[in-house]
Amino acid sequence: MKRIETEILVVGGGATGTGIAWDAALRGFKVTLIEKRDLTHGTTGRYHGLLHSGGRYVVKDPVSATECIHENRILRKTHAHCIENTSGFFAVTPEDEGPYPDKFLEGCRATGVDCAEISVADALRREPLLNPRISRVFEVPDGTADSFLATHATVQAARHAGAQILTYHELMGLIIEGGDGNRRVVGAKVRDVAKGMDVEIRAQMVINATGAWAGMVTQMAGVAISVVPGKGVMVAMNHRALNTVVNRCKMPADGDIIVPVHTVAIIGTTDERVTDPENLRIEPWEVNLMLEEGDKLVPNLSKARVVRAWAGVRPLYQEDYAGASRDATRKFALLDHKERHGIDGFITITGGKWTTFRLMAEKTVDLAASHLGARKPCVTATTAVPGADQGNYWLGHRLHEIEEQKLQGQLICECELVTRAMLENAAKQNPLLTLDDLRRDVRLGMGPCQGGFCTYRAVGIIHEMGKAGVWEGDAGHQTHAAEEWDVAYIQSPARNVNGSGSVGDRPQQQGGSVGDRPQQQGGSVGDRPQQQGGSVGDRPQQQGDRPQQQGDRPQQRAGQTPPLFNPNLLLRDFLQERWKGVAPILWGRQLKQERLDELIYLNVMNADHLPDDQLASAMTDFYLFDTTPNEHEVHP
Amino acid sequence: MSDLFVIGAGLSGLMAAYTAARAGLRVQVVTKGLGSMHWAAGTVDVMGYTPEELSRPVQRPLEAIQALAHSHPEHPYVLLGSHQVQVALEEFTALMAELGLPYGGAGGFGALAHSTSGDNLLLPSAVGALRPAFLAPSAQLAGDMARPEPLLIVGFTGLRDFYPELIAENLAKQGFQARAAFLPLSLLTEQADRNNVHLAQALDLQARRLKLGGELKRLARAGERIGLPALLGLDDHAAALADLSAAAGAPIFEIPTLPPSVPGMRLYKALRARLWRMGVRIDVGLEGIGANVIAANGTAGRVQWVETATTTSRPLKHRAKAYLLATGGILGGGFDSDHTGRIWETVFDLPLTIPQARHQWFRPAFMDPAGHPVFNGGVAVNAAMQPVGADGQVLYANLWAAGGALAGADPIQQHSLEGLAIATGWAAGQAIVRALAQ
Repeated sequence: MKRIETEILVVGGGATGTGIAWDAALRGFKVTLIEKRDLTHGTTGRYHGLLHSGGRYVVKDPVSATECIHENRILRKTHAHCIENTSGFFAVTPEDEGPYPDKFLEGCRATGVDCAEISVADALRREPLLNPRISRVFEVPDGTADSFLATHATVQAARHAGAQILTYHELMGLIIEGGDGNRRVVGAKVRDVAKGMDVEIRAQMVINATGAWAGMVTQMAGVAISVVPGKGVMVAMNHRALNTVVNRCKMPADGDIIVPVHTVAIIGTTDERVTDPENLRIEPWEVNLMLEEGDKLVPNLSKARVVRAWAGVRPLYQEDYAGASRDATRKFALLDHKERHGIDGFITITGGKWTTFRLMAEKTVDLAASHLGARKPCVTATTAVPGADQGNYWLGHRLHEIEEQKLQGQLICECELVTRAMLENAAKQNPLLTLDDLRRDVRLGMGPCQGGFCTYRAVGIIHEMGKAGVWEGDAGHQTHAAEEWDVAYIQSPARNVNGSGSVGDRPQQQGGSVGDRPQQQGGSVGDRPQQQGGSVGDRPQQQGDRPQQQGDRPQQRAGQTPPLFNPNLLLRDFLQERWKGVAPILWGRQLKQERLDELIYLNVMNADHLPDDQLASAMTDFYLFDTTPNEHEVHP
Repeated sequence: MSDLFVIGAGLSGLMAAYTAARAGLRVQVVTKGLGSMHWAAGTVDVMGYTPEELSRPVQRPLEAIQALAHSHPEHPYVLLGSHQVQVALEEFTALMAELGLPYGGAGGFGALAHSTSGDNLLLPSAVGALRPAFLAPSAQLAGDMARPEPLLIVGFTGLRDFYPELIAENLAKQGFQARAAFLPLSLLTEQADRNNVHLAQALDLQARRLKLGGELKRLARAGERIGLPALLGLDDHAAALADLSAAAGAPIFEIPTLPPSVPGMRLYKALRARLWRMGVRIDVGLEGIGANVIAANGTAGRVQWVETATTTSRPLKHRAKAYLLATGGILGGGFDSDHTGRIWETVFDLPLTIPQARHQWFRPAFMDPAGHPVFNGGVAVNAAMQPVGADGQVLYANLWAAGGALAGADPIQQHSLEGLAIATGWAAGQAIVRALAQ
């Protein structure tokens, strides 16, 4: 069994957990983060992508609103390239009459959310597809965020600061010492899912940042907390439809927001209490409701092609609260289990939302530091992650670069404009367990054909790379992988040409300060703490075991081609993963598209009759589309 | 006014048009776009897998059709009977030989006639699986895995639609001797933006293919056969194949890959040229959007006219003595559907055997061996390929249907796409000729 010793063990590789790892490492703590799947596999990778202005909470949840606008202003600097500055409208449709709009204005003023009423004519000029029957429009500083890219960037910043990030490492149990009233969490039993190996991690503090899964983790310490997973169903439309986030100006409810993210417009969401955060069904009524509500903001939006539907889970925490999911507070909850349950060395952070992840991390590390002994103060609010110097993301950047550099022949995903070199660099530097991991990196397969053409190409390319020994033999390559891979340009066709990657032409900008304040503590590469991180139990320290440089994907070791790297399994898994999200929305043209994908893979390729058809990955079962009959066919 | 008005220019529509035109009927074909030949492998798959045995390929498809009679009486093959399927395939084979794009089977060319023991070919696919196909164009025949020669799979560096290492590895896993090699893409083109069609056109030039052939000769070991992506010429394909084989000094075969399908385009162009010579008009860009009918009232109704739409003119009305619906099913765009679970046939609003409920359309796994119910249904027809109602009665006396629109089969999953199209298109054509002769 492998052993790791650290100061702080963070459980959960979403926005909050990675934010904690970043913050704690910058403050000089030795940090290890484990995530049972890929980064953002949980809620972070499944939300609608809104950078909240706070406008949605000004009436119902003013504390959350103030937190949101505060963090909104910070993230626009620290994670600038992960954010599109779309702005946001709150529109009063004919169904939203009543006193709410005035309360909304008042709430904005009280909570500090910048808000200006604009004329309906102006709003329609900027967004011509908006319902012309709206009566009032308020503009707020909403934005949209690429939560995959943002998490990668945070992780890279954390690594530079010395943190160790282990994906596909699943928490199996907490190691607890001491008796009643004097118990202490001293580490965790962890399963390396990809290698099928047990790992023991000893830590002085375990931080449970598992969001909707937080209750399951505290159960491992015999403590029950009330975290209820609140399921939200979203649908992505093939047409972006809007360039501005548009909210209904009313108390938050189902399907009242349209978020333009990258190439699609996302209609969200439902909100329902569920018991299992992992396996989320998508019911036909939920999809239909999103479309019907979306039409109220953009008439006939439902007639456009739907590319995908998915569900995420909000972590809703409210002590002694049993009301409707929608009405639970969205404020985060920081629980010190020593104070509450007499268990030392154990903190839970849950609730909140993506926009407030940095603040949640700051407060959590403050609490951890109060137990472990304070080091440096928090600097994440003034520390930019790698790539932020590029400024805000804009929709046309890929097309622009491809046309400038004449990279059309290099495209392997025509829908989302992914070039072969982008895929190769992402795969090389961020070795994968499934193609879905690369999808999050470069948007592979996220367009209208949902993997119809790029799945075959990606499998063929990954297989060729494996044959060429890209992941074998060269220990030096692995050692430097995390250092060299600059996620700042992961989505840039021009920065990934002919497999050269972004290594050579990477500008010297990692971790620079933002705003006008001079860099004081930590943060930049030059003065990052020179800690070694993670001594390795009873084995002599080897180069390949230096955690902060090892890369976070475990299975590529010299001379080994793991069974999980089987091309036939990669192909089957990704087709199935794409199927899971299209099956709930297949009708009309998207159904025809799916039939073409069947023609390609079941007929021309005959890929359902390949060898190794019994192999399964850690994700294979998760990708199944749940069709078990359900008596709740109508909106309850 | 034409005798036969065909809606759809896929393989079934063109086969019916050919059958009717050859018998002297005046035929017009309209199509919204190009048929699914442009997506498919260019082979004639008759029956690759049966609903009963989905893991092992069918060895003798015409025998497998006979075995379907009891278990799947609604299957279009069963309605026709295996003899008619065989006759249709013979007609097709003869036609393609005449058109200079010969199709052969496991026994070579012409071995089909009056034989029900024809075996399926097993051809390597672009991922290295074995594809069962009953007939294949001559360019694919040397890929038959019943042949003994070891395989050299040759790709082109940077070609995004063909991965020879993957093919060779999967063939080796299945016990075949196979290896991979690469040639520079610059042998074919210097263009930055190119697809398989551009590359095929590059090999219409003799100088390029002779150069490629020379490189292949250098790569190949004695006794090997050479597999290449299916782009060996478009308009000068027969000569390209002959030149390449001669220059390489080895048998050469094509492996079909992602759309657009060069083998499918060759097939389409050959059939279209034949129909043009017979005076058959093919109007591309005309979408059938509706029909005027005299409703059935105890007896069969009649189609009065079909309406088509284009992007450039007002809707047009077309009158004919007979109408053939060959719009394909979901894949061809012959059926449309919406989020409420409604699914309908787009020209005549014919009844479909597909459940009108979305939650009944799919199974949990994309590759579920049982297929997805939504893709198994369609327009129910009688043995003469005339659409019928739930009671089995003919709906319109002058309407026929063929191809992917028909109920009772999942031609993609069962690998029967072209066989069904040829057999039902031919049978509908025959039935129309008989009906109009009366």
